[in-house]
Amino acid sequence: MLEISDLTVKVPTAHGNLPVLNGVNLSVKKGEIWGIVGESGSGKSTLALTVMGMSAGIVTGSVKFRGEELLHKSSREWEKVRGSSISMVRQQSGEMLTPMIPLIDQVMEPSLKELPYQKEEAYQRAARLLSRVGLGESFFYRYPFTLSGGEVQKALLAMALVTDPELLILDEPVSSLDALTKSEILDLLEELSDERTVLVISHDLSTVARLASETAVLYCGSILEKAPTSSCLQTPLHPYTRSLVRAYPTLDGPRELQGIRGEFPSLSERPGGCPFHPRCTQSLEVCAREHPQSAPAEVNSGWFLSCHRGGVIELLRGRGLTQRYSLNGLNGVPGSSGSSYLEAVSGVNVSLREGEVYALVGESGSGKSTLGRILAGVDPPFRGEVFFQGTELRRFKGRAKKELSRDLQMLFQNAGEALSHRLTVSELVAEPLIIQKIGDEQSRREAVCRSLEWVELPTNDHFLNEYPHHLSGGELQRVALARALVLEPRLLIADEPSASLDASVQAKVIKLLLHLQNERGFALFLITHDLALAARAGDRIGVMQAGRIVEEATPSRIIHHPGHPYTQSLLSSGFTLFNF
Amino acid sequence: MHVNYWNELKKDNMGRKGLYMMGVLAVVAVGAAWLAPHDPFAYVAEPLSSPSWSHLLGTNEVGQDVFSELLYGARTTLMVGTLSALFATLISLCIGLIAGIFRGWAERLILRLVDVMLVIPIFLVVLLVAAYVQPGEITLIALFSLLFWPPGARIIWAQVLTLRGQGHIAAARHFGAGNSYVAARHLVPELYPLLAVNFVQMVRRAVFMEAGMAFLGIFDPTQKSWGLMLHYAREFMFTEAWLWWLLPPALAISFTIIAFALVGYALESALDPRLRRPTYAGD
Repeated sequence: MLEISDLTVKVPTAHGNLPVLNGVNLSVKKGEIWGIVGESGSGKSTLALTVMGMSAGIVTGSVKFRGEELLHKSSREWEKVRGSSISMVRQQSGEMLTPMIPLIDQVMEPSLKELPYQKEEAYQRAARLLSRVGLGESFFYRYPFTLSGGEVQKALLAMALVTDPELLILDEPVSSLDALTKSEILDLLEELSDERTVLVISHDLSTVARLASETAVLYCGSILEKAPTSSCLQTPLHPYTRSLVRAYPTLDGPRELQGIRGEFPSLSERPGGCPFHPRCTQSLEVCAREHPQSAPAEVNSGWFLSCHRGGVIELLRGRGLTQRYSLNGLNGVPGSSGSSYLEAVSGVNVSLREGEVYALVGESGSGKSTLGRILAGVDPPFRGEVFFQGTELRRFKGRAKKELSRDLQMLFQNAGEALSHRLTVSELVAEPLIIQKIGDEQSRREAVCRSLEWVELPTNDHFLNEYPHHLSGGELQRVALARALVLEPRLLIADEPSASLDASVQAKVIKLLLHLQNERGFALFLITHDLALAARAGDRIGVMQAGRIVEEATPSRIIHHPGHPYTQSLLSSGFTLFNF
Repeated sequence: MHVNYWNELKKDNMGRKGLYMMGVLAVVAVGAAWLAPHDPFAYVAEPLSSPSWSHLLGTNEVGQDVFSELLYGARTTLMVGTLSALFATLISLCIGLIAGIFRGWAERLILRLVDVMLVIPIFLVVLLVAAYVQPGEITLIALFSLLFWPPGARIIWAQVLTLRGQGHIAAARHFGAGNSYVAARHLVPELYPLLAVNFVQMVRRAVFMEAGMAFLGIFDPTQKSWGLMLHYAREFMFTEAWLWWLLPPALAISFTIIAFALVGYALESALDPRLRRPTYAGD
């Protein structure tokens, strides 16, 4: 019904003509409801205005409505289209109503324009629509300035519907409304958009999630991801979509909110190549050079991605991981076979994507640490394989192995033990750099200070020359963390990073990990026995029992709909400060 | 963790005494040339003269001043003792590290070699070898170094096995550290106390054995050594000369061995907290 192809809109500025929309392709079929999401300034409204023929910029490309090219139309013809087939409810639309004219007259206006002499009919029609949107007879002769925001919105909706359009464009229909009014309007919109083709434009993900069946993610004038709404928002493939979802507050779970790192680029500073690459944590050199082509994420899935890396990449995959400890002789050497053995981990499959936090919970002895050590490559598994960016860990040899530890770091369970008591703080934190032969004295010192700043530790000479036994448990843990981060790894496997800390320091350490995860885009495999903590930090939670991952889901699912009995018992024994 | 061994040693009654005694020995050995009233090699008086103010311990059978001989003897004894102990400890360290780090066939080979070496009667081997070769300081130091390492190597190997499982070494490995880095940065510092104890014990052993060899006459006769003094004095046991000629070097040897033994015990107890107790009865 609506076919937008290669649509580019440039606006003239002091810096020349700058593209607000850059090669947008969108195909909307009859009856579909599309959501268009993105940050402010991404070009959502420009897209809507261009379809309405009201764009102020220089428009190239094509917008076909029912097979008819709209861009070649004269302004008079556009008006006809707007009057009959396409309507729009605009952003901040209180201003769209004239304050001094009664409501019903304003709602009648479009149909009177169409058919000037049938006032009675127009009145009937307007009255019907106003009642339909919940504004009864008492509202007909009210002046707009006497209406609340929600009522204005309803009135505008009625106005947009009065011409019975085939395509309805809703630009931020409920953004400025309170939750109850919003939900009321959304109900109404849901009802009204039943047989229509609708474009919902919003920065508010829940609006789109509620209304739209398909979603397109717009960033800096380019569509980065197009997919069915539910899949797009639940398991976003594009790094931008994922960041967007992470920044959105919901009642689904206790997950911490995370802003998207970096700043939204202003129009004159649009980056070349993939527009998201400066803020993306997995960008390559090619991302800065070439604009990615939209390609199906999977065959015949209706899921399109514009990403050189094919969306969020998978960093780590463990397949069929099994670890055994012999119980007779050999003192529990990992991987030793014997007649009687303990299977600490049995047949675990796990995967971790770039920039993801995977929280592994379970009681002590469930095999969490063993699994962590296997994934970090500290101990080889008895059976199974671990792939880091597609390469099996055992195939890293010599130099490659040394380089692997720049990307894959492990934070060991007991910080006090993992830090040599003979080295000072600065020597400890610099140790990975020295081992990896990175930088000289000066740059190492800078790296050490930077890393210590990340973990909010002092960087004065006094602290740098402290020995571990002079530090508190929380400080030790953070020194260990600084050491793990000094190489700026891609993936950190943190084994109980906060188990021995008091709640306040724990909160700090966890916040810090999440912040760094957001800023640096590194993936975190968080091993903890604390389900509450896992739910706060994790994108996904894996519940481990007796060497197996018995359940794996998002925190909200785990908290609200635990599937496995073991998860339920973990939940019921969870901590709460209030007894109801 | 993180014990200051030097302080522990100073706090320990025995350790302190041992350190004082070692201090006296060091002063004597270093300052022999200034402290000695006569050139120990010069024939300064009548042979076998009794103690007098110019010759505190009299003279020997060729007329050399015994007191000066005694002072110069400290040099030889301490040099042989410390150098042998140093080299033996270094060999122990290298071999212990190799066995502990590489494991496998190297470890098996080394441990079997240690077993074999431990049952060799060292005194006899030294006696035989030194009797063939021109016995001098260098020969003795070389022999002692090559024969004294096995017990130390075994102890260090065992300690490396304990250490290698520790968190900070596992962490360093995880950062990509190689064997030499781990050994130099993490293992050797952790081994310092063990090495110190081993060193002190080896000094004691070397001093004792050097004296024994010299006493049996297996030493360069042109050098001054307590053992040699005993060797020559023994022939004049029938005279009164043993009082000022035989007894002082014997006491000096005992003094040295006791000094190192005291420091050794104190170090050992500082190293192992379980051994920290007020008395050392039964040791």
